[in-house]
Amino acid sequence: MTSTTTTLAAAAGRRRAVRSGVGATRPGLAWAVPATVFFSLFAIVPLVLVAVLSFTGWNGIGAPKWIGLSNWTALWHDPVMLKSLWLSALLTTLGVVIQTPISILLGVWAAGHQRNRAVLSAIYFVPLLLSVTAVSVLWRALLDPNFGIPSDAGWLFGNGNLLGTQSGSIGVLAFVGAWQWTPLHTLIYQGGARAVPQVLYQAAAIDGAGTVRQFFHITLPQLRNTIITSMVLMVVGGLTTFDTVLILTQGGPGTDTTISAYYMYQQGFLSFDFGGASAIALVLVVVATLISLVMVRLTGYDRMNSTAEGL
Amino acid sequence: MRSPASVSRSRTSRNRSARTRIVVSALACTLVAGVTAGCGSGGSGSASGSGTIHILVYGDTGNTVEKQIVDTFNKTSKVKAVLDTIPGANYQQKLQTIINTPQAPDVFFNWGGGSIAPFVKDGLLLPLDSFIAADPNLKSAFLPSVFNTAVIGGKAYGVPMRGTQPVLLFDNKKVLADAGLTPPASWDQLIADVQTLKAKGKTPIALGGGDQWPTLMWFEYLYDRVAGPGLFEKALGGDTSAWASADSQKALGMLKQLVDAGAFGSTFDSVKFTDGGSPALLAKGKAGFELMGSWEYATQKAANPDFTKTDLGYSNFPTITGGTGDPNDVVGNTNNFYSVLKNTKHPDAVAQFLKLMYSDEFVKAQLGIGNLPTTTNTPQFLTTSTDPAYDTYQYNLVKQAPSFQLSWDQAYPPSATTVMHQAVQQFMDGKMDAAAFIKAMQSLPTS
Repeated sequence: MTSTTTTLAAAAGRRRAVRSGVGATRPGLAWAVPATVFFSLFAIVPLVLVAVLSFTGWNGIGAPKWIGLSNWTALWHDPVMLKSLWLSALLTTLGVVIQTPISILLGVWAAGHQRNRAVLSAIYFVPLLLSVTAVSVLWRALLDPNFGIPSDAGWLFGNGNLLGTQSGSIGVLAFVGAWQWTPLHTLIYQGGARAVPQVLYQAAAIDGAGTVRQFFHITLPQLRNTIITSMVLMVVGGLTTFDTVLILTQGGPGTDTTISAYYMYQQGFLSFDFGGASAIALVLVVVATLISLVMVRLTGYDRMNSTAEGL
Repeated sequence: MRSPASVSRSRTSRNRSARTRIVVSALACTLVAGVTAGCGSGGSGSASGSGTIHILVYGDTGNTVEKQIVDTFNKTSKVKAVLDTIPGANYQQKLQTIINTPQAPDVFFNWGGGSIAPFVKDGLLLPLDSFIAADPNLKSAFLPSVFNTAVIGGKAYGVPMRGTQPVLLFDNKKVLADAGLTPPASWDQLIADVQTLKAKGKTPIALGGGDQWPTLMWFEYLYDRVAGPGLFEKALGGDTSAWASADSQKALGMLKQLVDAGAFGSTFDSVKFTDGGSPALLAKGKAGFELMGSWEYATQKAANPDFTKTDLGYSNFPTITGGTGDPNDVVGNTNNFYSVLKNTKHPDAVAQFLKLMYSDEFVKAQLGIGNLPTTTNTPQFLTTSTDPAYDTYQYNLVKQAPSFQLSWDQAYPPSATTVMHQAVQQFMDGKMDAAAFIKAMQSLPTS
């Protein structure tokens, strides 16, 4: 049996080698041209332009004026910039901490074969179909202190001044983010959980492990790569969050929810200071790249070992 | 938590760095794409086309009248006018991106004051003095307090179009009657009314603090009543000591007194005007007053027609004893204006077009859609408006006003808006004291 398989595989390998040796050439550099052109046009060129703009004063009219490091020194001494980075990090962390456990539990549940599961899942995924704008407008109305839920549930919300305080508005942003995006991550975990080989559970059941032990000793370890994927998505999404802030808080009260992406928009398109906005954009680029690199190194995402090894 | 597509599941290190670059470029593109996309979407075509002038206006329901006026103009003119509209609330942003390009219009809609100051500074606009010399009506046919908003450095840069929008103190007549009150004539009476309404379990004054600009209106009126328009004009002129003056401190003290008396309740920063929150407080009888631009009337009429018909009251801002400002002064958006680009190929045609802004046809059409033009011939047609009593009241208020202060956030250049809005919000919710507020206002760019 074994020797037959080996022979067949060797034969197949020989056939492939022969075929690729005749006529076919290795892909040349020319194959990379379209992708390279598009990548340069839409990624490299804008990035360079933004870098150049960050050394200019430009209000959108006429030619940008070269002002050297002014934008950068101003940014260095700008308390709002530092606060905005901290707020971006806080919101991102809150997103990961809130959404990960919920979406793992729901995803694993949704991967099973319970009665009514499909129906409940379908309803559950509805927030995913709504636009972020619609979701934000909806929650803004629902959380109105005079006419929304808080006016009927004072025991929970106090006076209902959710968007008028820093803790309240950050809480609302984290909650709305979770409401909108947990379904997406649930979907990812559902896929991950379905891919766990059933033999593992059968073996564990024979050894007498209950549902809880199976979850912690089989499901969670097997979902390792899924967890990393989902968290990378959350971090990238968290750092670029913008629309919920624009609609729910406009960076307020004061600058209490002015995250970096919104701060960039504010400087560029409300204050018409495109030079300053470009500097903020570059800071965001650097921070996001660093975080991305750190995540990849720490999690071993780059090695991406299969969880199915040894089966 | 968006854009899952920007992360790829990749194995090799080459792909990995590609992924980070995708993130990087997505961020970079946000800015640049925004800037360049604006350039392509002006939709106004070239101003150099033979025999046409392009009129760029804010794209909303007011366009029906603008279309009609353009049609009227084209019936007799050899140079044809083309009306271009920019839809949505991003008018100022998009205008800024095309104003110095070949797509720039010949004539464009604006708010006067700070909204055109950067263009004047860059020498893009045509002073209208020669037009006015040829036809004095281009100036004298409009109320002076309004016309002066578009005068920069002693030169006129705009002709009023559409209608005026003074800020009025609106009230719910029923709520006031139930509490035995009438609209306050003085500041002391307003404070007393606030205490009475609070005792009755009402929010005395509805305020959409989440939008920030409604909060600013309280500052504008208090500063004007306490110190007169001179203080703000001085500060806007670059003399920042005005903000630290005794009058400025007094106005801030009075605002603090009002907030501490519970005039706005405790949740005003969670309420917005733009989503109907604060108008609903007034209409549903949960609040007694709301300080708002004259558009409050149309807003209430659309959302609460019965309330508007029977119980919506309005009055001028109360007087302040000891204040040097004239009690007849008003603040708000004085008007919209048409300004002219210096490089227009057909200045004569533009001058002819601007003359229509004080024509009978224009006034009647504007009144028909609820706008109140500020031309001297407006009173003749007030009886034809949808609500003659309200329009007459507004018109007389503006006509009698010795000074009509343009909203601070429109009078200052756009680069000052964010800091100003944040400062008024933080002062009102107690996060900034008077000294910090004064410092913030002194830091605003004035040009």
